Amino acid sequence: MLKKISTLVIILSLIYGCGGEGEIQNNYNDGFDRFELLTNLTDNIIIPAYANFQLEILELENAKENFISNINQTSLDLLREKWLDAYLAWQHVEMFDINKAEEIDYRRKMNAYPCNVTRINLNISSQEYDFNNSNYYSSQGFPALDYMLNGIQQDILEAYTGLNGTQNLDYLSNLINQIVVNTEDIINEWNADRDIFISSTSNTATSSLNKITNDFIFYYEKGFRANKFGIPAGVFSGSPLPENIEAYYHNILTGNTSQILSLEALQAVKKFFSGISFDNSYQGLGLSDYLLHLDALNNNENLGDVISTTFEQAETSISDLDDDLMNQINTNNYDMLVTYDKIQAGVVLLKVDMLGFLSIDVDYLDADGD
Amino acid sequence: MINKIKRYLDIHTDSSPLAVFRIGFGLLMLYSMIRFWGKGWIDKVYIQPKFHFKYYGFEWIQDLGEYTYILFAICIVCAILITIGYKYQLSIAVFFLSFTYIELLEKTIYLNHYYFISILSFLLIFLPLNSSFSVDNLIKKENKIQVPRWTIDSLKLLLVIVYFYAGLAKINSDWLLNAMPLKIWLPSKYDIPIIGENLMQKEWVHYLMSWGGMLYDLTIPFLLIIKRTRLFGFVLVVIFHLFTRILFPIGVFPYIMIISALIFFDSSLHDKIINFIKKIISYFTNRKYNIRSIQAVNFKANKFKISCLTIFFILQIIIPIRHFMYDGNLLWHEQGYRFSWRVMLMEKIGYTTFKMVNKENGEYFYINNEDHLTSYQQKQMSFQADFILEYAHYLGETYKELGYEKIEIFADSYVALNGRASQRYIDPEVNLLHEKESFKNKSWILPLKDE
Repeated sequence: MLKKISTLVIILSLIYGCGGEGEIQNNYNDGFDRFELLTNLTDNIIIPAYANFQLEILELENAKENFISNINQTSLDLLREKWLDAYLAWQHVEMFDINKAEEIDYRRKMNAYPCNVTRINLNISSQEYDFNNSNYYSSQGFPALDYMLNGIQQDILEAYTGLNGTQNLDYLSNLINQIVVNTEDIINEWNADRDIFISSTSNTATSSLNKITNDFIFYYEKGFRANKFGIPAGVFSGSPLPENIEAYYHNILTGNTSQILSLEALQAVKKFFSGISFDNSYQGLGLSDYLLHLDALNNNENLGDVISTTFEQAETSISDLDDDLMNQINTNNYDMLVTYDKIQAGVVLLKVDMLGFLSIDVDYLDADGD
Repeated sequence: MINKIKRYLDIHTDSSPLAVFRIGFGLLMLYSMIRFWGKGWIDKVYIQPKFHFKYYGFEWIQDLGEYTYILFAICIVCAILITIGYKYQLSIAVFFLSFTYIELLEKTIYLNHYYFISILSFLLIFLPLNSSFSVDNLIKKENKIQVPRWTIDSLKLLLVIVYFYAGLAKINSDWLLNAMPLKIWLPSKYDIPIIGENLMQKEWVHYLMSWGGMLYDLTIPFLLIIKRTRLFGFVLVVIFHLFTRILFPIGVFPYIMIISALIFFDSSLHDKIINFIKKIISYFTNRKYNIRSIQAVNFKANKFKISCLTIFFILQIIIPIRHFMYDGNLLWHEQGYRFSWRVMLMEKIGYTTFKMVNKENGEYFYINNEDHLTSYQQKQMSFQADFILEYAHYLGETYKELGYEKIEIFADSYVALNGRASQRYIDPEVNLLHEKESFKNKSWILPLKDE
């Protein structure tokens, strides 16, 4: 009998041994092609969004060179325009905080706002700073450029022609160079590792599919909901912090920058969720299709549709706000909070309902269950 | 009746099943503690968090910080001593205390199988697992080849309780009528070789496994008790637990159940196992384990021991059904859910944030949970009412220390259970600082609205 049992145990352990955690590319025949999902997200959204972003920052770099060689209102206006274009393009890549981007803390280096003005001024005067040190994250990227181009002093041109002109110009130039270098690293990795990325379709905490889904949700909750609306509206602080809106200085000049950026970000969210290509020319597989395949229902309605509707409602609500979000907060913060709640409804649907159906391994703690 | 009991208590049987059980238990505990350590979980679970969730009634348990490692080390040493059977009674008692202390440190990591180990090691304190084939024998130079039958039967009884209640818990409409949560979990196992892409995706498989799992849990105790079906039952045990091990991340639990089920076999199997181990030992040491065996045992079924175990088993029967005290869907409110062998019953996710309101001027803000909890704690807290209450009180104290006075805390909580749409979980109008943890019904948990 002992023999029988031990043979059985050995056979079963062999079977079990085959159940490894390898990530194998497969043509799944359960009706949903995760490989195709990742391919669509990568080839039609992520890589084109980065390519577009790279073009925009190239133009930003050129505008900067132009500004350095002729400092005048025209070249400043052009530089500001290119900065805004690049900032808009950035809204389409911020959520992909994965692999190289995650490794170098790209997101926090590019868009930690409000920027730290004291630190920036110290950096300029001391000329000693390390952009890779987390203490310097809030003195670089788009928010720092916002300050350098729109808020450094009353007369911006004066800042680059006056007493500290050379130092300020140096810093401005370094900020843009840093953006270029970091972005190049990330794009190179995407181009090199695309195949590896799209073949990692398993359901493990480290697979591409799970990581990119988590990043998407994290971005919607933090980068979009909290940073753009919650924090300025005072949701986490009790009293509103209007100066914490995105592109604070430029927003003072135009009266609408912050809102435009947030609407652009919401477009990126919608496209990723529904699998719509970056250039809007094609709709492939997205998370909404995955939910449809899983027959995920939310009160008898398809969960993917419910989530899309929530995004639409959030968009309407944002558009209905005062174009100047700072003004909105200062005059009628209640409406800002209502908008926040509309966005928040999406967080619940993504984090609770969608994750429930996807049954995705989240990177909490790889603890045992029972 | 009393005579019958007395006679039963006097029946003796071979002690080898206890020796095999001791070795199996010791080795698995050794592996399980080292594994926990090796995965870095001691740091993540017990040291990193700023705040630890405690069990009701055990709030006094002191956090040990870095010293938690020492507690694990003690468990490891005890596991080794239990395996070889050296100073058994002391080792198992210390093991029970240190293991249970570890579990009481942090409620977030609660698992039925940790609870099982705790109560099993408590039971083992009362049983003479070192009667034969132990270092204690070598020292005393006597091998007790007979032990009272109740010592082995009590282990069987505990296993019967565990399986049977696990089966009863599966008789609910989510599990049987909707195949939930397997209908969600199994398709997500698409990357398991061979069966992942097809079988795991089929609805009939989800139903088959739901019903099969329920019938398995309910019948396995009887299959193991009845001699004719025992081997078949054991084969089922091995298949079932290894299969769950492949499908789900459940650590060493399957192995514990497989080894434990051996206790149902009669001593001939255990004698063979022991002889096999003896051969291995003598192969390496060239020494024979050969000492005088004695039939008579002075292991008396004293009254104290028997009453302790009687109370223990009465509690084991009552605790899993205490949920009848509470109305509503047990999976939803979870009052009386833990310590009841309810395993794999729910796909439940929550999202809970806390609103801190200034009572005087009505100003409010939301708490960033990341500032206080680890991501795993946030996950567990978000869908369990007792965690939510405990955390709200922690927040209240923390912010009062920071100078906030006259505050109220409200939970903005959404939970999705077994494929239902998310819905509000906690009454958003209730100031949680006014509510106290108790065995009373938590009226501030909103009822589950079923579609």
